[in-house]
Amino acid sequence: MIKTVSLRGLIVGLVALLAPVSVSAQETRPHSVLVLDQSDGGTFYFQLLSGLRDVVATHDDAHVTLYSESLDLSRFGGPAFEEGLKRYLKEKYQDTPIGAVVTVGAATTDMVLKWRAELWPGLPIVFAMLDEMDFARIKSPPDVTGVIVQLPLADEIKVARAVVPDLDTIALVGDTWDGLVVYRNWGGEVASAAAGLKVIEIVGQKLSDIRKQVAELPARSAIIYSAVFSDGEGKYYLPSIALGLIAEKANRPIVVAAETFLGPGGIGGYVLLPRKIGEEAAKLTLRILDGARAAEIPPVYGGVKPIFNWQQMQRWNVSESSLPDGSEIRFREPTFIEKYRWQSMAIMAALLIQAGLIAFLLHERHLRRDAEVESRNRMSELAHVNRNATAGELSSSIAHELNQPLGSILTNAETAELILKSDNPDLGEIREILADIKRDDQRAGEVIRRLRAFLKRTPFETKDVDLNEIMNEAFKFLSVQASARNVALYLQTAPGTLRIKGDPVQLQQVVLNLVVNSMDAMAAIPYGRTVIGRTELNGGSTVEISISDSGPGVPPDKLAQVFDPFYTTKDQGMGIGLSIARTIILAHNGQIWAENQSGGGAAFHFTLPLAA
Amino acid sequence: MVGRIHVVDDDASFRTAIERRLKLAGYQVATYPTAQQLLDRLPDENEPSCILLDVRIPGLSGPELQGRLNELGSTLPIVFLTGHADTPTTVRTIKAGAEDFLTKPVGSEQLLGAIERAMARHAAVRGERHRLEEMRALVAGLTPRERQVFALVVRGKLNKQIAHELGTTERTIKAHRHQVMEKMKVQSLAELVTLADRLGVLG
Repeated sequence: MIKTVSLRGLIVGLVALLAPVSVSAQETRPHSVLVLDQSDGGTFYFQLLSGLRDVVATHDDAHVTLYSESLDLSRFGGPAFEEGLKRYLKEKYQDTPIGAVVTVGAATTDMVLKWRAELWPGLPIVFAMLDEMDFARIKSPPDVTGVIVQLPLADEIKVARAVVPDLDTIALVGDTWDGLVVYRNWGGEVASAAAGLKVIEIVGQKLSDIRKQVAELPARSAIIYSAVFSDGEGKYYLPSIALGLIAEKANRPIVVAAETFLGPGGIGGYVLLPRKIGEEAAKLTLRILDGARAAEIPPVYGGVKPIFNWQQMQRWNVSESSLPDGSEIRFREPTFIEKYRWQSMAIMAALLIQAGLIAFLLHERHLRRDAEVESRNRMSELAHVNRNATAGELSSSIAHELNQPLGSILTNAETAELILKSDNPDLGEIREILADIKRDDQRAGEVIRRLRAFLKRTPFETKDVDLNEIMNEAFKFLSVQASARNVALYLQTAPGTLRIKGDPVQLQQVVLNLVVNSMDAMAAIPYGRTVIGRTELNGGSTVEISISDSGPGVPPDKLAQVFDPFYTTKDQGMGIGLSIARTIILAHNGQIWAENQSGGGAAFHFTLPLAA
Repeated sequence: MVGRIHVVDDDASFRTAIERRLKLAGYQVATYPTAQQLLDRLPDENEPSCILLDVRIPGLSGPELQGRLNELGSTLPIVFLTGHADTPTTVRTIKAGAEDFLTKPVGSEQLLGAIERAMARHAAVRGERHRLEEMRALVAGLTPRERQVFALVVRGKLNKQIAHELGTTERTIKAHRHQVMEKMKVQSLAELVTLADRLGVLG
């Protein structure tokens, strides 16, 4: 095996001498790599190896074969073990051409360097993950290069200060420093790096004890976790699992130094990126396999980055701004929108459409409102015209009602004048006369007020009104007209008040229109002209008003038409009285209908909702 | 001039005012809130009186009351007084014999003038009728033969003609004629003719 390799090396050397430099360096070394790691098979090493494997697999020029061995150096050791291991490797790879050895971790590197002369003389070694102190310790042997990680304890303490601003204590949790393979150099660094801080070392203890202690740490402290592999009594753990168990109990944030510790409960820190380390080591290895000399490739630095666990940051109330520059944050809980992108877009779209629809409907509603207001105004105007017409029809009644008190006043005034002219005026009578004059004047004023209210051009307005009062007033207004037209007018009101919401003037107008209509209908009959007005409660929620007459009634086929505009049977009628009555009642959320009474005559009914 | 005024008006205030005024003018006043009440107690035709009647009264209206009174042969003068006068009503009531038609408010002078005129006319009518009744009573006092003579004398017949017509002597007729003049209390034939004319004997 060794012969073969050296022979090959000789041939390569010859070829290199004979051929110009530009000749491809391919086939200078066997395209196979032996990866030795100190791993126990945990996640960290798995990631490192897969990073390495992925880069190697992308090597297009020639296929590279990977052999790998997990040496489990964190759990096993001792001269006998090492000797056996050496023998095992020697025998196993005796006939296998190897182009380079990749060593993962300081312990493996140390061992391979020790065995190289015997097992793989002259074979280049690419170390993955040596810290600076270890690199210094191996004193750059020939044909060795690799990836140096800078992971001083000082950096993690810096992180601890960032996480706990008023930090005064750090708790170092892990195996004994000597038992550690990656973080063992921290042991010697504690004194200098943690200067000014109280240090609680929870190292090399049973996991159950660790869990107890981390639950009772002082307030201004942080835990710095290296790794726990064993409880010192023969129980072994994967350090990430151990961290999970510790984090469960810990009462303080845990600063960690490996990417794989972020998930199980570490808040973060300068962490080793196993995948990145593997990739870097692979790149160096490929260069060597392709012909570069290991001695000419300086070691690269990298594989460490400040990374933090967002959820832990939330838990310990750590703000992003206090973290070291260039920090990356993992496990950031995606916002709802990030999490349910399509769903939320759909919801947003639905909301937008809905909002648009609502806006559209509001606009429609607004237009409808305007139209309603407009139509109501029109109705009010028409009602006003109708009232003017009604007032014209009733003008004789109005004149009579006015002249009655005016006549009394004039007569009384003249009488008083005469009395005062007499030699012995009767002042008592003068007083009576003056009182009468005053009363009659008020009466006349009341007529004018009623008339003005009736003729006022008012917009539709609702008030709390008593329907009985409206009926009384309307019938008073009509009484003179009725007697002039020889119509007996009766009003039967329901006891008490009938509170409704409505426009008093317009409701009065409805009553006037209906009664005048009835009186007109009876103009042709010789005697027995009667109009009866009635108000009654119709259940608890509406009031029904009826105006019935003793006229000829409405032809049955016209009952539905009588409320139509311009429907009239009168010579001088406009046909708007009943139509306006209906419009007004509908605007008051009421109903109006006509029917013929069984005993003859027509009856007009309308209902209005009672005020709540 | 004294007299009794019957006021029919449904307006209590107006009744009081008009009663006051009329009493001050020296009249006696009777008031009725409805037409029916006046019908129930028909006023005495023979005393000087006048009815002051509203047109619009609940129940029996003014014009209707006028009609009923006419049917009953009343000669009581009626002055209408209304808050609002429309032409058809005015014409109808005047045709039916109303003395006047006034519109409220009415000044006292106008009202009292109307009442006075109405009462004066009524008094004249009453005087006339009184005289006619007297004359009829005189005619009633004549014997049948005297009545025949009376009728023929006023038609201008001579005694001789009358005697021939009645188949009697001129002398008898002369005596009858003297009796007639005596009973009818007239001095001359001309007076007798006038009287006969007024009684409708001629014609």
